[in-house]
Formats: sequence, structure tokens, C-alpha cells
Amino acid sequence: MKHGLAMRDPTAEITSDLRSRAAPLTGLSGKTIALMDIGKMRADEFIDRLEWLCHDRGVATRRYRKPTNTRVAPRELIKEIAAHCQAVVIALSDCGSCTSCSTHDLSDLDKKGLPGVSVLTDEFRQAFEAQKSAIGLDAAAVYVPHPMQNRTTKELHAFADQSIDAILAAILASHSAA
Amino acid sequence: MISTALPHDGLLIFAKRECETCAMVEPVIGELARLGLPVAVLTQDDPSFPSVIKAFDDTALEQSFRFEVEGVPTVIRMEKGQEVARTFGWNRAEWGRLSGLQGLGPGLPAIRPGCGSKTHEPGVWEELVAKYGDSGLRSRRIPIGEWDDEIEACFDRGWSDGLPVVPPTDARIMRMLEGTSRNANEIVGHIPPNLAPVTVEKIAINAVLAGCRPEYMPVVLAALEAALEPEATMHGLLCSTCFSGPIVVVNGPLAREIGMNSGINCLGQGNRANATIGRALQLIIRNVGGGRPGEIDRAVLGGPGKYTFCFAEDESDPTWMPLSVARGIAAGKNAVTLFQGDGIQGFIDQRSRTPEQLTKSLALSLLAVGNWKLCEFTNAMLVLVPEHYAIYRDAGWDRGRITSALHAAMVRSGEDVIQGALGVGEGIDVRRKDELVNKFWPEGLLIVRAGGQAGLFSAICAGWTGGRFREESKTVTREIHP
Repeated sequence: MKHGLAMRDPTAEITSDLRSRAAPLTGLSGKTIALMDIGKMRADEFIDRLEWLCHDRGVATRRYRKPTNTRVAPRELIKEIAAHCQAVVIALSDCGSCTSCSTHDLSDLDKKGLPGVSVLTDEFRQAFEAQKSAIGLDAAAVYVPHPMQNRTTKELHAFADQSIDAILAAILASHSAA
Repeated sequence: MISTALPHDGLLIFAKRECETCAMVEPVIGELARLGLPVAVLTQDDPSFPSVIKAFDDTALEQSFRFEVEGVPTVIRMEKGQEVARTFGWNRAEWGRLSGLQGLGPGLPAIRPGCGSKTHEPGVWEELVAKYGDSGLRSRRIPIGEWDDEIEACFDRGWSDGLPVVPPTDARIMRMLEGTSRNANEIVGHIPPNLAPVTVEKIAINAVLAGCRPEYMPVVLAALEAALEPEATMHGLLCSTCFSGPIVVVNGPLAREIGMNSGINCLGQGNRANATIGRALQLIIRNVGGGRPGEIDRAVLGGPGKYTFCFAEDESDPTWMPLSVARGIAAGKNAVTLFQGDGIQGFIDQRSRTPEQLTKSLALSLLAVGNWKLCEFTNAMLVLVPEHYAIYRDAGWDRGRITSALHAAMVRSGEDVIQGALGVGEGIDVRRKDELVNKFWPEGLLIVRAGGQAGLFSAICAGWTGGRFREESKTVTREIHP
């Protein structure tokens, strides 16, 4: 991601230049987590398993899918998620445009008060950091191995198994779960 | 950096097509090139100029900036990559000295001045410093994404009062700093509630956000310094559950120079200086001090004046003593007065014909400030419009007489305003039942003359409840320095 205009900080610089994320949930009981499929191929297989793992832990979820990973989510979808859920997991970004767009989605939902976490492949760690600083949100991420497009469903499910604890921790507590 | 494509030995000629002198010397440039001298023409406006040799495109003005070119044509003699001589404009003798060739441009006049360099057109230099030089700015750099909307980026970072702000780029901040003689790194004070140090640079950044012009900077600085005086009680004022915020009144010739409004709709919208100076003060408190509504700013309702509330006094009537003069500043000096107050309560009186009638009428409305039964609890500012003042002026009443008559007209029996009197719980201490009580402290009623020439509608700004602590919370007036 390229940077554009540079500005200077008008604040006293006693805090991070990134705004804090929406307050994490204090518990999952009675809460519904949105599982947002960014519309990228194979994301649904990862989310299938994530959904199963959440239900296995007694965590309620609702699934959403945006029309394309190449654009930010439609306003109506953001409104819909914010109306029914208290936190969001966005998965699974494994390219530049989906990283950028999904971080905007994370920020838009954060502004609606939903703590969230983005799941990306580790190749896009730097892109996520750059997008975070451009948006100005201290956003949370969990990384799975790259590449993912050539994996078997079983392997993708294994990624979900390995990352579920970090994903829930990111919604529940410290944002540095990655 | 200086381009390596330029000759290390030879002549650099900075030029632009729109300069008549540059166009006139085009054949001379051709002459120099034909004679085999290494010549590079750096064109600021049109790379197809000159036609006699291929020009070096300097429309981005980087080389013009690095060579500190002030006019065109500028001829620079380079030796081993170093400048050894330069001349500006057309001067046959000088061009001869730099090129070592005599009798250049035989048909031309001996001397002809050139034009200004594009680097020095309005607004350009700061952009070039920001891009190629050292801005000297110390505040944290915040880069945003290439395709991100900069106005939205400012909102997202929480820098706004709810209205769009101007993105604080280096060039804009540098231009803003031109508005003050003070050093950018000077610490002006500590901004509540976080008591964070504020430099002139941070003030300039927030003035950019607010939409100020550089010439407003001295007023912004003076207003901020007034707010930081301990008796201005800015800390309490901004955290207060009350409606109040700083109301800034500007006096002196500077108010007119920078185009402040003291006339029609001066307490309303539409004037850039009024709107942005007051806004800059509030944004400094928000961004540097951390005084954000809902966090440490606990106003139960707030008020529209908390976006901005700043206006100038109308000093055009010589019979009226300006507020700043009444508060100890020499006549003709520029000053700001910071009053801790609320939005306006309209005062309508289209019937009074004598000063006595008008005084009684004003007193009735002033008694309503805060609560009709509260006394010496808040201060108040009366914005007296020209038509109301004319009733006093025509009877020979001046500021002093109006003020004392208003105080006298607001003296009441304690028994009428003690707690519980008239079936109303609010009121003054019951122990004052037998006293005659004043509505305001003697210094607690400010009068400012402002507004359009037509309309018998003055305004009352209630003061903040902190005003009940007479010695602790006071109106502050400060002279404005450049």
C-alpha cells in the first residue's frame, strides 16, 4: 500500500497515533459474533470450521458474506451486522485488495462499537500494518500461513483449529492476540 | 538532490516561457549552445521552451528550489559541480562574464530585468520546502493512504469538533507559522485537562484544522494565553457540566485589519475570522488538552458557542469606551477578552425612549441570568446594539454610568430571593433575608457594543457558574502581540 498525503499530529502526542479499538467484550455469554466472509475463494471453508468451533464452545454466531473481496462492504451489510452482533471476525484476506478493503470494514464496524479481528495470511502482515496506520485504527489481526488457495479443506480447517483461541482472545481482551 | 543530469562545468539557465525577457534571450541561448558551451536550460513552466535546445523539465521546480532561484532568467556558472557565479535578468556584460563570450545578443538592449521565479509565487515555496527541503516541524508525521480521503482521515483520528477540518499538511502549517514572529518550538503553556505542553507549532497545526488564516495567529495565541491564565479557570470551564465555554471579544485595529465582524450578525455565522479563531481555541483544548465531550468534558447540554464564540467590538462610535480600554488596555492597542459564558438570551425592547426606561428594562432581563433568584452566582456579558446604545448616548450616558445604573436597578430585597421565597427552592442563602443584594459582582457585568445598525435587539450572555467564586474565576483581558 502506498501512502498519500502526510499530515502533522495536532495532539499532545501522549497517546498512540492510532485510535483505540472499540472496547473488547467482557464475556461471550449472550453475545453474537458476526463471521464475515470477505467473498474471497476458500474463505467459506475456513469460516465453516470457525463456525463449528464457536458453536462447540457455546458461542453464538451469525454468518455474513460481502459480494466481493475487492470492495468495502455495502453500508447495508455493515448496518445489518451492527444491529445483530456484538463483535466481528473478518476472514480471510490473502491478497492486497482484500487486506485493504477488509481493514476498512473492520474500521467501519469498530465505529459502530463492534470490537473485531481480521484473519489474514501471514504474507499480508505488513500490508495490514500499513492499512492500520493509514486508517488510524489500532486494529487487531490473527494470521494463518500463506498461501491458502492451494490447501485442502482439511488443511484450512486445521488453520481454523489453530487460530480459534487467538481469534476469540482478540475479541475478548488484548488486541495483540496475533 | 541536485540533478546529476546537469552539466558539472558550464551554464545553467533557469527560465520560463511566460517571461518576456526569457523569450527575448532565446536566440542568445541558441548562440551559446552553437558555440559549444555546455548549457542546460531548466524550464519552470513549459518544457518545449526554448526551441533552440532541449530543455530540462523543471516544472516540478525541484532544481529551481535547490538553486534558490528568485527570478528568471537566472544564469549560474558551474565549475566541478559547484556554483561559482550567477546573474539575474538579461545583462550583456554579466552574461559575457559568466560565459566568457563577448558581444552576445547583438540586437538586444544592454540590460533588461527578468521576471519572478515560479518558486516564489503565492503558496508555492512552502510546498517546495515540504517536498524537497526541511520544514523544521517537529510534530509526529501522520501519513494516510494514497486513496484515502484526508477529511475523513482527520475525522477518524478524532481531531474534529464534528465539522470538517482542514488537513494539517506541512505547507499549510509553515504558512500558518508565518503569521507569528514567535518561534515554532516555544512552549506557550500547558493545556488542561491533561496539562499537556503546547508549542507555537501545535497551535499553528490546530489553527490550520480550524480554518484560520496566518494573520489570525496573534489573536489565537493571545486568546489561548488568556485562557491559560489561572483566573480564566479554563480547566474547570471545559470540564463543567454547565453550558459554558470561552467567549472571545477582540478589540483594536487588528480586528478590522483581519476582517473580523463587529456588525450585522456578528454573534452568528458567516465571518471566517470570527468563526475560526474561536474554533482554533476549542480545537487546541480538544486535541492538545484532551478535553473531549463525553470524556472529561461533562457538559449536560453544552451549547453552540462551544464550537466557536468569538467576535469583535464595534469601536466606530468615539463616545463609546471599548471593553479593552475599560479593562486597562491602552486605547488603540489590540486585545482579547475571554469571558466564560453561554449562548445568547435575546433582549427585546422597542418601546423604551429614555435611558432610565431602558435601564429598568435591561435589568429585568439581566435578572433572569442563571436563575432569577440567584445572585452573585454568575457574571454576565451584555452585547448592547447601536440603536439601544444611541438612547444612552443621546442622553449623555457613557459606559461607566450605564454600568452603575444597571447594577443599581438590579438591587433587590433578600427576602424576595432567598431559597424558598415565592415557592421556589432555588435562591440565595436564607441568612441574607434582611440584606439588599446585588445580582452581579461590581466587576461581573461586562458591556460590549456590537451589532448591526438597525434593530432594537441586544443580547445577554449568561456567565459560567464558576463566577460565584469571585476571586478564583475572572474575565481575562490580554494585549495581542505580533
